[in-house]
Amino acid sequence: MAECGEIGMMLGAFEDSELEPNEMQEVAFHLARCESCTGILADYSTLGRDLRSIAPEPPLAGFSSAVIARVDRLPQPLLTRIARYLRRQADSVGAGLAWGGAAAAIAVLTIILMTPYAEQFANRGPHSATSIVKAEHEAAMAVNQVAGSATSEPTMADNDSHADISRLESENHSVAVWSEPRRDTTVIWLPDQP
Amino acid sequence: MERYQRRVVGVALAVVHNQDDALELAQETFVRAFENLSKFESRSSFSTWLYRIAANLAIDFWRREGRHVVLHGEDAENEISRLPTSRGDSFKEVSRSELSARLKQALEELTPEHRAVILLREVEGMSYDEISDVLQCPRGTVMSRLHYARTHLRNILKDVAGS
Repeated sequence: MAECGEIGMMLGAFEDSELEPNEMQEVAFHLARCESCTGILADYSTLGRDLRSIAPEPPLAGFSSAVIARVDRLPQPLLTRIARYLRRQADSVGAGLAWGGAAAAIAVLTIILMTPYAEQFANRGPHSATSIVKAEHEAAMAVNQVAGSATSEPTMADNDSHADISRLESENHSVAVWSEPRRDTTVIWLPDQP
Repeated sequence: MERYQRRVVGVALAVVHNQDDALELAQETFVRAFENLSKFESRSSFSTWLYRIAANLAIDFWRREGRHVVLHGEDAENEISRLPTSRGDSFKEVSRSELSARLKQALEELTPEHRAVILLREVEGMSYDEISDVLQCPRGTVMSRLHYARTHLRNILKDVAGS
């Protein structure tokens, strides 16, 4: 049987299952017959439990943030600083382009959507181009009517035309009438009706 | 970081045996790891590399503070032989509070190397190979330091029980 001194050196490793299989067997064989070494082994086991029981649990709240703060305070190498500066610049230029693009898109969209409304709004004016065209059209119709009547006999129709023009003028002060006697033409300008 | 922080603190604590110092050293460990990440060569696992930084910082800290005389080799063996011995399983009679207080004191009396191996083994549950990697010493040294530490602690506690 192995001596206690020799086995004693291996008892801790036996407790930790860190011996070779043949050594584990040898220590186990010794322990089966040696009360002293069995007692020491029991003490080691108790010692391990006691050490675990008194081990403090360190407070780790805020540990990570403290480490990150320390890392942030580290002086950066020149190349790293240059790389970071370039990255920041690239980020800001990229952001500027993105904002500019978005603004342009919104402007185009607004123009497309608002154009019909703008036209409608513009058409409400008393002297707008559309109203003039319309008035010209109506005037042309009136001229044709007058011209048509001129080719026929100057009968009651002429009188009727004059009566109609007078009635229009009296009903609406905005009506304008131009007479061109040499050409036998009368132009009547009618404003848009609200 | 969350994955390793508890054990990094545990490694530092095993050596310096002071919670505030251990937390400070653990923070320093992560900062050093960040600074030297490019030097990590994957020859060992990342965790072992990290724990090794923690152990080195803690041992340097302890030596700088000059709190203890470190015994090596034959001196350490002589120290063991001078320790009183008695028969086993003798802690049962000692009250828990007295035992805890004496155990903490006994741990203080160990060198950081001896305290580190026993706490890394018993509290952190590291294998001998892991301890060997972290403390950068041969496996046989881990075994002999553990034997010394266990014998020392056991005998001190037996003295408490005897008195």
